[in-house]
Amino acid sequence: MRNLTKKIFFPALYLACSAPLLAQYTFFTPKDAFAIEVSLPNSAEKRLPMYRNAITSLAVQGDRILGGTTAKEGLSPYLFVASISARKAVALKDLQETIPGQKSIATGFCKGSGNQLYAGTMGQESKVAGHLLQVSIGDGDAIQVKDLGIPVAGEGIFTLLSNKQGTELYGISYPSGRFFTYNMATKKTQVFDEVAPKEKELDNLHEYAVGPEVYLCKALIQDNAGLVYGSAVGNRLFAFDPAKKAFQFLETPLPAVWGREVLGQVEAWAKAPDGKLYGGNAGDGQLFVLNPATKKIKNLGKPMMMGRLQSLAFGRDGKLYGLAGGAPGYSHLFSYDENAGFVDLGNPEFKMVEPGIEQGILWRGFQLSTLAASADGKYMVMGEDEALSQLMIFPVGQ
Amino acid sequence: MCAATAFAQNADKNVSFIEYPDFPEAHSTWGSIGYNAASNTVHIGVTNHANNIGLYTFDPVQNAMKLNGFIRDLAHLRPYQWQGKIHSKIVAAADGSIFFSTDGGESREEYLMEHPQGYAGGFFMKWNPKTGLENLGIGMQYESIKDVDIDPKTGTIYGISYPQAHFLVYDPAKNHMRDLGRLASSHVPRVLFTDWWGNCYYVDWRQRLVKYEKDSDSLVFARESLPAFPGTPGSKIITGVTAYAKDEAKGIIYLITYGAKLIAFHPEKNGIGKVEDLGGVIETGKANAWGPYVPNLNIGKNGKLYYIIGGHGNYVLKDKTVLVECDPATGKKTILREYPITAVTEATGCDIRDKDGNLYFAARRNPSGVGDSTRPFMIQFNPENEIRK
Repeated sequence: MRNLTKKIFFPALYLACSAPLLAQYTFFTPKDAFAIEVSLPNSAEKRLPMYRNAITSLAVQGDRILGGTTAKEGLSPYLFVASISARKAVALKDLQETIPGQKSIATGFCKGSGNQLYAGTMGQESKVAGHLLQVSIGDGDAIQVKDLGIPVAGEGIFTLLSNKQGTELYGISYPSGRFFTYNMATKKTQVFDEVAPKEKELDNLHEYAVGPEVYLCKALIQDNAGLVYGSAVGNRLFAFDPAKKAFQFLETPLPAVWGREVLGQVEAWAKAPDGKLYGGNAGDGQLFVLNPATKKIKNLGKPMMMGRLQSLAFGRDGKLYGLAGGAPGYSHLFSYDENAGFVDLGNPEFKMVEPGIEQGILWRGFQLSTLAASADGKYMVMGEDEALSQLMIFPVGQ
Repeated sequence: MCAATAFAQNADKNVSFIEYPDFPEAHSTWGSIGYNAASNTVHIGVTNHANNIGLYTFDPVQNAMKLNGFIRDLAHLRPYQWQGKIHSKIVAAADGSIFFSTDGGESREEYLMEHPQGYAGGFFMKWNPKTGLENLGIGMQYESIKDVDIDPKTGTIYGISYPQAHFLVYDPAKNHMRDLGRLASSHVPRVLFTDWWGNCYYVDWRQRLVKYEKDSDSLVFARESLPAFPGTPGSKIITGVTAYAKDEAKGIIYLITYGAKLIAFHPEKNGIGKVEDLGGVIETGKANAWGPYVPNLNIGKNGKLYYIIGGHGNYVLKDKTVLVECDPATGKKTILREYPITAVTEATGCDIRDKDGNLYFAARRNPSGVGDSTRPFMIQFNPENEIRK
């Protein structure tokens, strides 16, 4: 890496600036990290087309990375598969071929039975209704997609979670913010209004000029007892009991910066081995931990100055990795553990080697929106949200 | 502001070194030079490389360099809107207005953001000698704008941001800004250029041409990368094109890459045109062919290319910059002048030629040869005739 830095990075930097080379120009460059080019227009390689490749859902199954994208308005998203060992994109699927008129797959993937994964879509602005997808990687990396229909009439699927048995899905609809359940065996949907914002709350939100993307719950999680947690307008957390079909609002609010409670939104969760639930608040970028036994929330602080905390996952080293910040600044990769606290790893910069650029180039991640860990926690896979988005992968130490 | 008569600092009848008056702390220029055909003038943005930028006009007929004012005053910038330099070239419209963009320049630009010392973002700006400076607003929050070009037919301004390399298309008449997204990897290629139809070109991380095609209002990517020498490092590839010059009569735009290739590009109105490899910028036989650094290119009335090799610690002759003539018809490259780097440390500027056939480079020198204590100056060069004084 030292030679790589000397040969590639310094000359590029030298061209950039006549000022003294300063230590701040260091990036997160762990050994054996790499980038995979998955987006490139006008290429003979398997690549996603421009404006249809913002990587907004990721899952890792063995050696395979499954990605789901968000497209620009009027364009349809893709599903894709990349190989970690081969370091390349191996399969693409245009969702338009299966379900026309969709814009995004941004719920992440939830695990069902076997190797089945589930995701939700959002339609175009003029017709937002989204579909439930059942996705699997078949023989020869063929991406198999089954349309399970529209769970909430006229509404997109903003958030999705499966239970640990893989028998039921829980979601938040867009734009009304209703909670729904979907039984995989009966294929029946049940819709609840308890956590959707009320008229008075919407009036208040209007004064802040924020839309549903800002105030609806972006991530759900299930504790070991089976309760499902998410956020609701007013900086609150709710818990849904699937057995009783009942909701409760937690007494402790989400951590907030004074006067900015309106921005409270959980957009990432990760469950620790001890069962504690770590969450990310989009509004001001706080990491917090929820103890399911006490229902108490502890504010762990902010990894960086900006808002957003888009993704969380535990690595095999026991550390929690996450993506903080974002546009109009940059995403910062960070790690957290109880002993060291936060470590802001900044922008990753990994080597990309592909046909035609065999000598390798350096890829810097600015707008990273998704992060997923392999099942063994060995690899962290990050996806970009750009006009031409790529994958960035690094191994985690023992 | 004061005007000053330019003066030659050497006895070379074809070359004149011209100083910038009334800016004692001036440090450098960064490709921030352009020709204005409507007034037959050359415009230059000169920076102290911290927070002050002087906008200059050189009148070759009067042989006078004039400071029009400082950007922070002309644009009514507040201290939190500080700008480090003009990094873009200066492009002119038919009515004599010039357009350029601003850049943070300093290290605080890239990371401090919302901090009180952070960088608000780079502006698009328009200046007209009669009406003064018009601030056309920020391109992207926290981002510099490294280069601009203009579609002379529509007035559309193209820009590339730093450090995220977003391609911007701005219509000043409608105040309509569009961000067409990120096009580069970990480095931002510095050069945009347009063809005679007003299409704009950039490169992606594979050093493939990317064209903003007016007719289709879309980005068109070349299938193949621009020519490169075997073994060219990835850092050179991702840095792309460093200079260009247009020969509209022949339908050619000459390009130089960071990997030291000279290229004849034959643009077409729709689609990507033919790319012709003209070889290296110089054959030294001593070092890597991809090594020489050439951030400038001009074309004489004789159709020959002129460029100054060297800069940023990279020189083909020890501690010397060299002025090279290349005849594209024969491929012959000749070193016309050699300068110690204390006299000419490096030079920028693309496609700047006045009515007399004088070519211009925005240069700087480091008289001590140590550190980065440079002084900017302009090089006026006429390859065929003595410069009129």
